[in-house]
Amino acid sequence: MTSASLQQEEKAVVRTAERTGPGGGMFRFQQRFAPYLFVSPFLIVFAIFGLYPIVKSMALSLYATNGPKDHVFVGLSNYRFLFTDPDFGVAVRNTAVYTFWTVFLQLPLALGLAILLSQKWIRGRDWFRLAFFSPQLVGQVFVGVLFMVLYVPQYGLVNRGIHAALVSFPLDTKWLGDARMVMPALVLASLWMYVGFNMIYFLAALQAVDRELYEAAMVDGANGWQQFLAVTIPGIKPVAVYVLVMATIGSLQLFELPYTMLQQSSGPDKSGLTIVMYLFQNGFVSGDLGYASAVGWTLALGILTISLIQMRVTGAWKGVKE
Amino acid sequence: MKNFPFGNAALAILVMALLSGSWLAAHPAGGHRTTLTLWVFAKEHNENYHNILPTFLAKHPGVSVDIQLVANNTLAARLQSAMVADVDVPDMCEIEITQAGTFFRGPLDDVGFLDLTDRIHRTGLWDQLVRARFAPYTKKGRIFGLPHDVHPVALAYNRVAFEELGIDPNKIETWDDFIAVGHRITKTTGANPRYLIELSDSARDQLEPLLFQRGGGFFDKDGNCIIDNDIAVKTMAWYVPLVAGPHKIGNNLGGGQVLTQAVESEYLLSLIAPDWRTRGFENDMAHMSGKMAIMPLPAVTKGGPRTSTWGGTMMGITKRCAHPELAWELAMQLYYSREKLADRYLKSNILPPKRDLWNDPAIQAPKAFWSGQRLGKIYSELAPEVPPQYASPFLELAKNKLSEAVVSCVQQYQASGDAGFEDFCRRRLKQSADEVRRQMARNPY
Repeated sequence: MTSASLQQEEKAVVRTAERTGPGGGMFRFQQRFAPYLFVSPFLIVFAIFGLYPIVKSMALSLYATNGPKDHVFVGLSNYRFLFTDPDFGVAVRNTAVYTFWTVFLQLPLALGLAILLSQKWIRGRDWFRLAFFSPQLVGQVFVGVLFMVLYVPQYGLVNRGIHAALVSFPLDTKWLGDARMVMPALVLASLWMYVGFNMIYFLAALQAVDRELYEAAMVDGANGWQQFLAVTIPGIKPVAVYVLVMATIGSLQLFELPYTMLQQSSGPDKSGLTIVMYLFQNGFVSGDLGYASAVGWTLALGILTISLIQMRVTGAWKGVKE
Repeated sequence: MKNFPFGNAALAILVMALLSGSWLAAHPAGGHRTTLTLWVFAKEHNENYHNILPTFLAKHPGVSVDIQLVANNTLAARLQSAMVADVDVPDMCEIEITQAGTFFRGPLDDVGFLDLTDRIHRTGLWDQLVRARFAPYTKKGRIFGLPHDVHPVALAYNRVAFEELGIDPNKIETWDDFIAVGHRITKTTGANPRYLIELSDSARDQLEPLLFQRGGGFFDKDGNCIIDNDIAVKTMAWYVPLVAGPHKIGNNLGGGQVLTQAVESEYLLSLIAPDWRTRGFENDMAHMSGKMAIMPLPAVTKGGPRTSTWGGTMMGITKRCAHPELAWELAMQLYYSREKLADRYLKSNILPPKRDLWNDPAIQAPKAFWSGQRLGKIYSELAPEVPPQYASPFLELAKNKLSEAVVSCVQQYQASGDAGFEDFCRRRLKQSADEVRRQMARNPY
């Protein structure tokens, strides 16, 4: 580049700076509006597809809806009815039972698997990791259909397998047709799907634990179990809390699995009815959108409360505040 | 260009957005040119209607019809949403009988379908069709749907197994006769259990047609819930011992492939069969061809009705339809014309509700699968006795509540047997009915 062209370039920069620099109008315009412009696509999409439905559903929960057009303001009457509605009570109970069993079986199993598959002496551990994670790739509907076939009475693989090992087990046991068996059937299917998924989180967390802490613990004479309690658990705690909260939220929102496995029904004696299924039935089967909105808002507040309690109890809330 | 304040990347995105938006605006989607849109939920209906369509289109040059197959589980939800938002509502729609009442919620004026009552009377359909079939699609005397079917119910049975076991279907006139046979041949234990009939112990599936056969139902013609009336109590007290306890003669394992296996392996010897179900058997149980047969349902008492009803479909014309005359004509062509009737019947085995079509040779023809029996003839003889079902927005709820009552009553019977069982049924059904009434009380219409 010659000195003449360098001079020309310099002059051009100066001219631009005069026009758009700190004193220039364009600069001020950019400074002031550019951030809003950059966030505006998200804000517009969120306002249309997020905020508006949220506000609308909140308003709708205060109306009795009869058909597509007829809305009558009823205040909190939908909520009052909800808390005395035996079907909603059953849905809450079923969802709570499912959440309890899935979370408290899923997390220890996922952690156990992660610890097992982080051991270097296991051959083909990458393959096992993929195998355990793979159910997550197919989605709840596929898992629902698969388990529906596995649970078939008389001819299904599950009954045949148990009967082969335990002759007294009746071949015609109806996993999905007996009110007492539906919840165990759902929990088993969900474990198959989610244990591998949560294992991945724990694997990542285990790899991030400082190896020197284990060495220091060994020097102090800690055995394997003591190392697990004193080093591993504190090391993976943030991830464990995240998995706990997410697993709880996911369980409370259970829908596709029972909806598919029970073929769009609530199961015998409502044994597979969950809160979101109840919401769906009221909103889109019965056409009572007002009541369904009330169910939705009650669930949302329930999830918020439970998540806050979990974060408080596990100490994660303290970390957030700091 | 250089002066665009946010850089070239942002400028490029803006230009692309403007260009693509302009292109889309200049080329509206082809669907907008469709004259009539029809949603159906059954694959067989979809195929049949596409076969008939060319004749209709030839009569109406320039008209186009878009028939869309929508899964039954999602159709009602999609239609509800479309009607609420008043967007993308089809011109015509088929709806399954249980869900139909949902669309009749609210005041009459707010029903999203056209009131077809006057047309039905004016065109003579009222007298030409099985009248009971209008009931499920009627609200306060106004008809909003055209019935697609009659769905009389018969009993499908394994003819070969019946013969081997010495069962003569001609000697079975009443349910008492049938149950006596069941007690003789049912084996609930051992390596090869065998049940005389498919009956559910956890849902109201088969109980429903048996309830209708006795003159019961879910709602009366005024919309009152009747699942706890005397007929329902007696039916429940009669039904449960057939599926529970030491003398049970019925069981069920599920549908689809499981049912096929259960019938082929003689786990189940007979099934309650409305006409629509027989086509499913033909498709799914090909190995049973020539071994199955049909007989009328046993009567409750000698000389009583030998049939019932199970299921149904309506076609409605929505208020959003811009061409209601054309939609009506299309509905007549698809449902009640002789056009491709043989084809339609052979694909579905469904008897049309228009009586003058029943004498069609295709409907009267023998069927190899059913041991050469004239299936359509048998069903058409039963059709006039089909009982009415009445619509309600709470029909699905009432059916669910009846299913719950079945489970409770089965548990009670297994625990305590006959002692006080009818009283228990009465209390349990009242509880179910009260739960339905409680929900109904929230709906002022």
